[in-house]
Amino acid sequence: MSTVNVSRRNFLKSSTIVGGGLVMGFSLTGCGGTRLLPVEAIEGAYTANAFIQITPENLVRFYCPRDEMGQGVTTGLGTTIAEELDVNPQSLDIVFAGVHSDYKNPAFGVQGTGGSTAMGAHYYPLRQAGAAVRDLILQAASQDLGIEKSQLSTDDSYVIANGQRLPYSQFIATAQTLTAPDLETVQLKDKADFKYIGKEAPRLDGMQKATGTAVFGIDVDLPNMYHAVVRRSPVPDAALLSFDKSAVESMPGVTDILEISGGVAVVAEKYWQAKQAAEKLKVEWSEVELSSIDQAQIKADFKEAMDKEDGPKTGELGDLDAGFESASSVVESEYWAPYLAHAAMEPMNAVIRIENGQVDLWSGTQGPIGAEGLVARTTGIDSENIRIHTTYLGGGFGRRGTLTHIQEVAEIAHLTDKKTVQLVWSREDDIRNGFYRPASLMKIKAGVDDKGEITAWQAKRVGGNITPETLENILPAMIPGMPQALINAAVGASNMVFNNWSVDHSSIEGLYEDYYVPNQEVSHVTVDHGVPLTFLRSVGHSYTAFAKESMMDELAEKAGVDPVQFRLQHAKENPRLNGVIKVAGELIKQMKPAAGHHLGMAAHHSFESSVAQIAEVSVEGGRISVHKMTCIVDCGLAVTPDVVKAQMESSIMYGLTAVLHGELNVDGGAIKESNFHDYPILRMNEAPEVEVVIIDSDQDPTGVGEPGMPPVAPAVANAVYAATGQRLRSLPLKLTS
Amino acid sequence: MIEFTLNGEVVKTDDDPNTPLLWVVRDTFKLKGSKFGCGAGLCGACTMHLDGQAVRTCILPVSQVAGKNITTIEGLGTPDNMHPLQTAWVEQSVPQCGYCQSGQIMSAAALLENNPNPSAEEVERYMAGNICRCGCYKRIKGAIMSVAEGAELAYDATATTEVNS
Repeated sequence: MSTVNVSRRNFLKSSTIVGGGLVMGFSLTGCGGTRLLPVEAIEGAYTANAFIQITPENLVRFYCPRDEMGQGVTTGLGTTIAEELDVNPQSLDIVFAGVHSDYKNPAFGVQGTGGSTAMGAHYYPLRQAGAAVRDLILQAASQDLGIEKSQLSTDDSYVIANGQRLPYSQFIATAQTLTAPDLETVQLKDKADFKYIGKEAPRLDGMQKATGTAVFGIDVDLPNMYHAVVRRSPVPDAALLSFDKSAVESMPGVTDILEISGGVAVVAEKYWQAKQAAEKLKVEWSEVELSSIDQAQIKADFKEAMDKEDGPKTGELGDLDAGFESASSVVESEYWAPYLAHAAMEPMNAVIRIENGQVDLWSGTQGPIGAEGLVARTTGIDSENIRIHTTYLGGGFGRRGTLTHIQEVAEIAHLTDKKTVQLVWSREDDIRNGFYRPASLMKIKAGVDDKGEITAWQAKRVGGNITPETLENILPAMIPGMPQALINAAVGASNMVFNNWSVDHSSIEGLYEDYYVPNQEVSHVTVDHGVPLTFLRSVGHSYTAFAKESMMDELAEKAGVDPVQFRLQHAKENPRLNGVIKVAGELIKQMKPAAGHHLGMAAHHSFESSVAQIAEVSVEGGRISVHKMTCIVDCGLAVTPDVVKAQMESSIMYGLTAVLHGELNVDGGAIKESNFHDYPILRMNEAPEVEVVIIDSDQDPTGVGEPGMPPVAPAVANAVYAATGQRLRSLPLKLTS
Repeated sequence: MIEFTLNGEVVKTDDDPNTPLLWVVRDTFKLKGSKFGCGAGLCGACTMHLDGQAVRTCILPVSQVAGKNITTIEGLGTPDNMHPLQTAWVEQSVPQCGYCQSGQIMSAAALLENNPNPSAEEVERYMAGNICRCGCYKRIKGAIMSVAEGAELAYDATATTEVNS
């Protein structure tokens, strides 16, 4: 794929030279700056806007602004734009957009994918973009054919005129001379007229992924490409003291052994050669504070902070003391959630090529703009001369928003004469040198009165915060020119703020918001031993829902109220959550679990969507088996319903790994686990049947990739309690027989 | 020099005999459909067929396949001529991120080759060697069962044609 740089000031806005192979972009948003759209120069093609190209063969190409990590974003966004453009999404040619301000995520203001934002943020902008192109084609057809626009219609990339089907491509030469309609006022379809949105259809990337032809970052292979493997300190932030390359430098294929900021890089002609050499390399690392820390210490420090320290508060409502006084019973419980690794199937990797002052970087990331910034910062090459080529992501789950591997590969190519380099992390690198879901100790103390109303809710969480760490990782990427000292100052300031005055919302999100309680308070104590932290699917909700929904069952039992009823009476002010709980209650009534099987339910609102789940489990010889998960989701309009189902299935399996297996332990400051033998992932023989109910809604679409995960742990824990009478408050769930 | 048959073609490599087959196929023969997931035979992303049997090639030295028939996902079917399992995968929207799916399909194809009509439990037991982090297990099982019950298998894992290289 080639990208054309043509100075935009030489052309009129939205002009295109058809036939010359020159393509220039214009900004849909009006804030495109001076950078040209990184679209392919296709002979004779019409670049209608940042998202749509139509070729002379009437092939419609969609430049997908978000990254595909399995969440089905190409299918979802492709269907959205295709609906208004009136093209069957199945025939779209979808490519991943390069870096440009037109491809910003409207939810973030930068080009990144995450937070279950894609569909909600792009639903209107992409429909408008599609409708504008269809309108241009119709205007052009009207002019070319001499037929009133009102007499023309469209069907699957054809204009229908007097009963004749004429391809869109027939009108692209005229269309490019016309002015696009205003996006804010362009006529959008009535929902009743949708042909593709809301309908069942296969996902658009299925064939590539079933035939091994989908290109992931690790599959990129260029002429004269060298392969790099990096040895990193097992203890985060330990400094490199020395390395002895004498035994390694003469190994077959090895070309370079060099220090980079993350450790020692070994470069070879082939991956396996680099890998063998890196393993043999003798490296010494410094001792840091974390080096003396193990898991028991972390847990003890968390517990001490929970019992003895006070931290900043948030979510205060009413009078907590009065609330507890009016309670007829008070329940107080502590819940633990460990560090987790994302363990995406594709280990971190990237390919870089530096040639004639131009950098090309191929990788599947959740932040192409961040990749560009890190490459610029590392190589000193201006962003204008850096092209980021986004591939498919072999899983993301939040991990591919942190891009130290991009910096590593850029350093290697920058510091050596090997200008085309692929860096591949091993699974051990992924588990041991990653960024993790923070461990959390949570306490909830709640009171309930004799009418079954919760009178007081006091929650506290102890653990590290991801925002300072995120700043540390994102600032150098977003602001390549920012000096390290300033970055350190910003990170230090954010640490100070969260340690003393304010609560990092992502640390406690989901701990108190879902149910109405007149008297409540959330407090937070930061205890951070220096284990690297980042977002993991559903972020804070991934552990807070476990505490909150376990406590709801504990309280309901104390109050002698049915757990569904108990939740309903406290969720009156949250209609979406109320709705899914109500459906869950109706389904539970119809369920007839087999002998020895027990049910548990949980519900949670996150990423603007609500999900309730019912777990059917059995316990035999201390072993928990999950037989079936029933999932009710309200995510507004389900644009691609099968993708919504798939994401619920996926979140349930991801959640079950955390419930049944997921646990990282720190030993001498290092992560003890290393691969799938000691960090097991749920396998098919443990996978339950899943049934998904999507609430029919015509509200705007909301998050889907993450909200299915938070209810999994508490639903299973509540079912295990029903089965055994043991209330398990620590993840992963382990029965004491 | 090690010689073996790759998707019906005889190929030769002078890679170190200890190099895992996966890296020889990916880096030397440039077939990228088989994936690196764990390097320890734990996840199945690298699964290929060795004389029709599923093997984890991230731990299989290339020296072990001298004179043998190796089939990768590219040899199982192509976009224009898909194996029935691949068709089922597409129709039932099995993949999510898709990274593990080549290995899943190669395992499934070997299973059906040996046991054309497996029970659900047999499918679960056999496929437990392949991890899918996106958790597509329900659909993987469904796709395998639909092919097992329905379509005829046209694919012959042991077929070889000699090609001069």
